[in-house]
Amino acid sequence: MSSTDDLSGVPKQNAFSVRAIINNAGIGLALLVLILFFAVTTEHFLSPNNITNILTQITINLILAVGMTFVILIGGIDLSVGSVMAFAAVVAGKAITLPGLGTTELILLACLAGLLAGLVCGILNGVLSAYWSLPSFIITLGMLNIARGAALQVSDAQTIYSFPFAFEEFGSKLIYGVPVVFLLGLALVAIAWFVLNRTVFGRLIYGIGNNEEAVRLAGHPVFWYKVAAFTICGLTAGIAAIVYMARLSIASPIAGIGFELNAIAAVIIGGTSLSGGRGSVIGTLLGAFIIGVLANGLILIGLSDFMRQMITGVVIIIAVVLDHYRAKFSAT
Amino acid sequence: MSSQPNPIVTEAPLLLDVQNLRKSFGGVHALDGVSFSLKAGEVHALVGENGAGKSTLIKVLSGVHAHDDGTLTLDGAPFQPSDPHFAKAAGIQVVHQEFNLLNDLSVAENISIEAFPRTRFGLLDRTAMRERARAALDAIGLRDVDVNAPVASLGIAHRQLIEIARALQSESRILILDEPTATLTERETSRLFDIIAGIKAKGVTVVFVSHHLNEVFAISDRVTVLRNGQTIVTQDIEETSPDGVVAHMVGRALAGTAPKAFADPIGDDVVLSVNALRLTPSLPAEGISFDLRRGEILGIAGLVGAGRTEVLRGLFGADPVHSGTVTLDGRTLKINQPRDAIAAGIGFVTEDRKDEGLILGMEIAANISLASLRDVSLRGLLNFARERRLARQSGAQLTLKYGKVSDPASSLSGGNQQKVVLAKWLARTPKVLLLDEPTRGVDVGAKAEIYGILKDLAAQGVSMIVVSSELPELITLADRMLVMCENRIQGELLPDHYDQETILKLAYGQTGGVEGSTS
Repeated sequence: MSSTDDLSGVPKQNAFSVRAIINNAGIGLALLVLILFFAVTTEHFLSPNNITNILTQITINLILAVGMTFVILIGGIDLSVGSVMAFAAVVAGKAITLPGLGTTELILLACLAGLLAGLVCGILNGVLSAYWSLPSFIITLGMLNIARGAALQVSDAQTIYSFPFAFEEFGSKLIYGVPVVFLLGLALVAIAWFVLNRTVFGRLIYGIGNNEEAVRLAGHPVFWYKVAAFTICGLTAGIAAIVYMARLSIASPIAGIGFELNAIAAVIIGGTSLSGGRGSVIGTLLGAFIIGVLANGLILIGLSDFMRQMITGVVIIIAVVLDHYRAKFSAT
Repeated sequence: MSSQPNPIVTEAPLLLDVQNLRKSFGGVHALDGVSFSLKAGEVHALVGENGAGKSTLIKVLSGVHAHDDGTLTLDGAPFQPSDPHFAKAAGIQVVHQEFNLLNDLSVAENISIEAFPRTRFGLLDRTAMRERARAALDAIGLRDVDVNAPVASLGIAHRQLIEIARALQSESRILILDEPTATLTERETSRLFDIIAGIKAKGVTVVFVSHHLNEVFAISDRVTVLRNGQTIVTQDIEETSPDGVVAHMVGRALAGTAPKAFADPIGDDVVLSVNALRLTPSLPAEGISFDLRRGEILGIAGLVGAGRTEVLRGLFGADPVHSGTVTLDGRTLKINQPRDAIAAGIGFVTEDRKDEGLILGMEIAANISLASLRDVSLRGLLNFARERRLARQSGAQLTLKYGKVSDPASSLSGGNQQKVVLAKWLARTPKVLLLDEPTRGVDVGAKAEIYGILKDLAAQGVSMIVVSSELPELITLADRMLVMCENRIQGELLPDHYDQETILKLAYGQTGGVEGSTS
């Protein structure tokens, strides 16, 4: 291959991302309108403190939603991420409170243990649903209960606390007002974007969501790609668990209840099709922002938490209806 | 056949009269002047090749499709079956080839599904429903079937009969059976024929669609032959013979197909050798065996359901194979999944482009590179420049008409979509290419182009197996032809013996053996 060809190839966006950008433009616009609305109607919305707040609040949902994007792109769903996060947190919490080890070793061990717990749950979700071609809805509903039960069992239903200071510091550290954990979330978005748009793996994730049989008949091991998507989702639940512990300084077995629904909502609001094959992780980032900005702003203008929940629900439905029309237009 | 049929039949007035019926779908004339009549109380067989217009005629009669032109008269009055309910109300019932039963519901529920009996309070009247089902089953002699049993617990034959019972319970005057014996064993078929005889004795007119001429001759009073959307002939059954019917189905001339010119150099070396291939244990024990030589195009003819597609899917590893051996270039292959076949140098252009061949929502370039992503990537990273180059080269080679290689595959016409599927496999320079209905849904011009591409490939030494339901297509393409019937190779033909009548006779299982100078 000649180097000129390579150079001409890299800066040009492939049509997938061009289309993704057009799709995302609408979501970005919606987000901008929301921000402007709250900036005008409330006093503190754009204050540095509040921005830091919003970024902190959306981080865990963003991390979960990045993994969820992979699963939804292959046409699956993962209902277990909230419970898996709690399980991973409890496992990491047990590790980090082990006696007789140095701080660095403890933190490393806890991170490894948490990630591993998430990874194992993800692999199980993937293998069980892909091997028998079962609806991932049901398999992950089972995992939702298994992981929650496991979290309660391992922790003896007790909240674990008193972590090393360095670990808690990571959860609250700011760089120019931006939480480090949010930067971690952004980094995950960037990695996911690269994987989905620049690698053979990502190409086949989109391909499986569009037409699994065509991908299989082209000689690709569809089973392993599906397992990989669920594994990534489990892994991000493990990462979310570490962030959650660092931020709140506890590992609670009842953490993360309902988080799966927020993560799915972020992905769907971000324009990823529930039937798979279409969408982008940039959309997911914007979707997570929309949910976070709504939650924060609606409370600032004095609405109750109940009202906020209702409005978030309305936004999800609007997003799905919009997606329905988008699919119609792009199909012709 | 020597026994006199019921004298009422010959004297009977016309119940239904169809004149000059026309129906087009887009540019395709599915019905191009069909005339057809039914005498009250007769069994009338409707035969013709795939695509002759049988299904469309039935759909017009039963109100599924509106016709474009022509007249229908029922009982002397003009008849416009505008929708299925209307046709049913007029007494026309159809038992379709695909079952329309709800497997988890009971027999009684299935029989009453079109109009559940209700009590005074609007609730389901279970007693009436069961009684009605019992009566409907008894009427066709199914006394042994429990009306409370779920349909799923019954065999295929019984399900078929329950469909007939359902169709007959309302006032039926015309019962249309669309290939009712396709899934039945011989014994079940003879039971069905007893039931048809019983229905006929009650004065119901039966239209019987079948691919099996022996069945047609066993139960029909008259037979109508359709070809290319036109009525060729309607005859009393005792005035014709199976050979006569086949001749009518084919027509005298081989319309517009020149025999293949022997220009391609076909090597003597066998590339692919298939020995006793069987996909499931229930298939004939001898399995499928044949050799494919370098640069040869081997056609496989046969009726829908003869097992042609299954052979290709088995060879490619798309479906699991029960037994048999496949050798490619002298090496025995172990094919468990498509990946194995592809690695060995086999490509597969599937029958169903939308569901299996293309990813319609993705770019043309992504579709073309789908089977050769290794060639357009480095350590898992896609090289878009190289992918586009591959797509443009393939596009030029196959005269693909497209806007940009980054347009979605759905933006292309049928013929160009098929070229993209071809390009996907050609990018791997396959040794053997399997093609299932390679020109389905492709317009005439693109068809000719695809034939040209395939012949060029053969000249370059690529070996091909082509399955097609269009005989002219096989006659044009194939260097040699296998004809399959009921999961067996019924015969093998060389080009000097390619004529539609010989092929159809083999396909219908009327004759067997090898025709031609060598085998």
